Amino acid sequence: MSSRAASLPEEGRLRSLVDFYSTQMRTSVVAQLQYRAANYFYMLGMVAEPVIYLVVWSTIAEQHGGAVNGITAGQFAAYYIVWTLVRNMNIVFGAPFWEWRIREGRLAGDLLRPLNILHYDLAYFAGWKFVVVGLWLPIAVGLSAVFHPDLHPSALEIVVFIIAIWGAYFVRSMFQATLGMLNFWTTRGAAVFDLYMATEMLLSGRLVPLALMPGWVQTLANFLPFKWTFGFPIESLVSNLSTRSLLLGLGAQVMWTVIGYVLFTFAWRAAIKRFSAVGA
Amino acid sequence: MNTLRVGWLYFKVGVLNELQYRVNFFVQLLQSLIQVGTGLVMLSLVYSHTTELNGWKESELLSLLGVQILLGGFIHTFIQPNMELLMQDVQQGTLDYALTKPEDAQILVSVRQVRIWQVVEVISGLVLLIVGLNGVKSSIGAVDALAFAFALGIGGVLVYCFWLILTIGAFWVVRMEHVLELFEGIYQTGRWPVGVYPGWLRYSVTFLVPVAFAVTVPAQALTSRLHWPTLVLSVGFGVVLFAFTRWFWRFGLRHYSGASA
Amino acid sequence: MSESVVHVSELTKVFKVPEREAGLRAAGKALIRRKTRDVHAVEAISFDIEPGEVVGFLGPNGAGKTTTLKMLAGLLYPTSGEARVLGHIPSRREKHYLRRMTMVMGNRNQLQWDIPALDSFELNRAIYRLRREDYLAMRDELVELLDVGDLVRKPVRNLSLGERMKVEIVGSLLHRPMVLFLDEPTIGLDVTMQKRIRTFVSEYNQRYGATVLLTSHYMADVEALCKRVIVIHHGQILFDGALANLANEFAAYKTIGVLLEDGSAELDSYGEVISRDGDRAVLRVPKAETSRVAARLLSEHEVLDLTIEEPPIEDVIEMVFAQSR
Repeated sequence: MSSRAASLPEEGRLRSLVDFYSTQMRTSVVAQLQYRAANYFYMLGMVAEPVIYLVVWSTIAEQHGGAVNGITAGQFAAYYIVWTLVRNMNIVFGAPFWEWRIREGRLAGDLLRPLNILHYDLAYFAGWKFVVVGLWLPIAVGLSAVFHPDLHPSALEIVVFIIAIWGAYFVRSMFQATLGMLNFWTTRGAAVFDLYMATEMLLSGRLVPLALMPGWVQTLANFLPFKWTFGFPIESLVSNLSTRSLLLGLGAQVMWTVIGYVLFTFAWRAAIKRFSAVGA
Repeated sequence: MNTLRVGWLYFKVGVLNELQYRVNFFVQLLQSLIQVGTGLVMLSLVYSHTTELNGWKESELLSLLGVQILLGGFIHTFIQPNMELLMQDVQQGTLDYALTKPEDAQILVSVRQVRIWQVVEVISGLVLLIVGLNGVKSSIGAVDALAFAFALGIGGVLVYCFWLILTIGAFWVVRMEHVLELFEGIYQTGRWPVGVYPGWLRYSVTFLVPVAFAVTVPAQALTSRLHWPTLVLSVGFGVVLFAFTRWFWRFGLRHYSGASA
Repeated sequence: MSESVVHVSELTKVFKVPEREAGLRAAGKALIRRKTRDVHAVEAISFDIEPGEVVGFLGPNGAGKTTTLKMLAGLLYPTSGEARVLGHIPSRREKHYLRRMTMVMGNRNQLQWDIPALDSFELNRAIYRLRREDYLAMRDELVELLDVGDLVRKPVRNLSLGERMKVEIVGSLLHRPMVLFLDEPTIGLDVTMQKRIRTFVSEYNQRYGATVLLTSHYMADVEALCKRVIVIHHGQILFDGALANLANEFAAYKTIGVLLEDGSAELDSYGEVISRDGDRAVLRVPKAETSRVAARLLSEHEVLDLTIEEPPIEDVIEMVFAQSR
């Protein structure tokens, strides 16, 4: 019997890819709904950080006639409450997950199948986000009741925001995946990861709205990807950015996604060479 | 005191074990530097926009940060590893190994493990504290220093009891680890004076999760803010909590032994 | 040879393994200068496999079986030599190749943990770009063959080891691959499950003419499925041929079991006495002399029972390894 015969016919590439994403996202939702409690605890723990920032800056604002650099307590509240949603959207298949994947020996299985490895992660986490947003809503309502945010977004801003949080998701996925490749060479990837997180915290708008940072920091942030994963999505909803800024911001996200993807491709090739030399 | 000797032996073994992994030292050094760095950035940002936060000056807040990191290092070195191991034992049913040893089980499960390299964190907190105190206007008398050491000790006890109580909860609700994750987030509240928080939050971080007692009170001692009633309350709270923890531990053990028949 | 499904020529794999002595000072030195040792996992092996063959790789732990399979599956780069499967170079991991092969590793999970196997199957359908009707037909056939109908709706983490293995196999064959790499597929399973899986592999091979490369510790797997075995030890091929010939080449003897009326009879002149237990004795006799020895026993003693057997395959394999040292 010829070895070339008897293979099953194939569906189209694009159609199959869309099929995969929709199937995986649906599956993630079902899987993550089982872990509602764990998801909730994680989100509650995460809320502590922005609440602390919010309280500190509101206190300063109150002491100085109601605003810091023109940002009122109500605006701080808006910034940090939207922060919680953006933070959740930011959680991607990052370096720690790569360490898990390698350690648990699951990488071989993924390599045996004819699908680019990024698709597994992007699709799984994308589905998870829907569960996260659902769980987040009551938290947002609660925070709003306590801190009285000052939030009046326009329709355009809402639309851009919804696109921007997914843009943030993609940019961060690419860069975190690239960082995750370090785990193929060392078990101490966590150290570099911490460095990345610290840099991101300072330059992304996670610690404070970028407007409160010294001028040189703000300039620097414009040339790095971090701002587009955090500060920009938040500000698209909370600050009154011009239409031009909003659209430019979305464009920046696209650009950084592409850059991140290219970096990942190079890193992945090197990582696979190493994996295939050393084995697992 | 045989118990103390056993505790010391465990400590020695734990430390020697960890000392093998010298790379961990550099990793921990990096992480502590990052932690201190981000803390300092936040502080300087805040003080670029104001001169006083809830009545605390910059160097005073620096001292508070130092205490928080110091105590945090203590938690990560001595308390957290043991509590995580205890939780794991309960989940996997291997607690019996600890229970069948002739020493008091509570002491055993509290001192078995040490992450010695986290001591770097304690040292970095101490450095910050000293730098901060340097800038504080009023000098520190012996009484203040004593009150500080005392308050810090009570703080350590409080945090230990809190962690142990939560971990004992694992006897009933097996998946307690998520609750422990919350602690790190809430512990961050210790970096800022308790007065900035709205009432309900202030209450929570004082009595529910004893961060304020553990961090702010010692810092208050060093910055001449401590009122005697606060210290007495803190001591009283510590004694009560410790007694409760002891009782709760025994209660949990009875339940555990019955359940694992 | 353009017809063979698997073509391996002088395939070699050398691992660099870090070497370190115990102790604090050695650990410190190791930080500065890494000492490595070369481990020759696979040493210039060559073989060809024709379409539809079921070949068993036998060898002790660390012999190089799994390493060979992983190189053929594309998970490891060879250090030197050539490997081709279905005309592809496996380490290139071309999508076209991946769609026509599969690898199942015992004790490893490729399905998602938290969801029913059925959902993981759907994911594979999309990944392998199967048409809906082909997928459903293949899936239902596999589910029936392995009898996992009610298991596929349960989350995989709730299944027992054997059940998990069965659904893993279903998931890995949905795209009807032509080449199967099975690495210890029955390890850790109970006897019934092992038999079930063996029967299934045989069925799949007959139905679709798929080529199967199988590694196993269990002789029963190999005896049941493989007409051809490749014996590997220390990374080298000791034997490549029909299972039946293995005994001929390495263990040309038979065992004669005899139950005598007179238990005290002297038997050393007939052959090597392996065991003696009262009236029962087991003798090892060169193959060529079996009938002669048996005839002598029957004529010279009061024999109550006599059996003649091939040496157990385990003993043969042991001899193969013993001889190779």
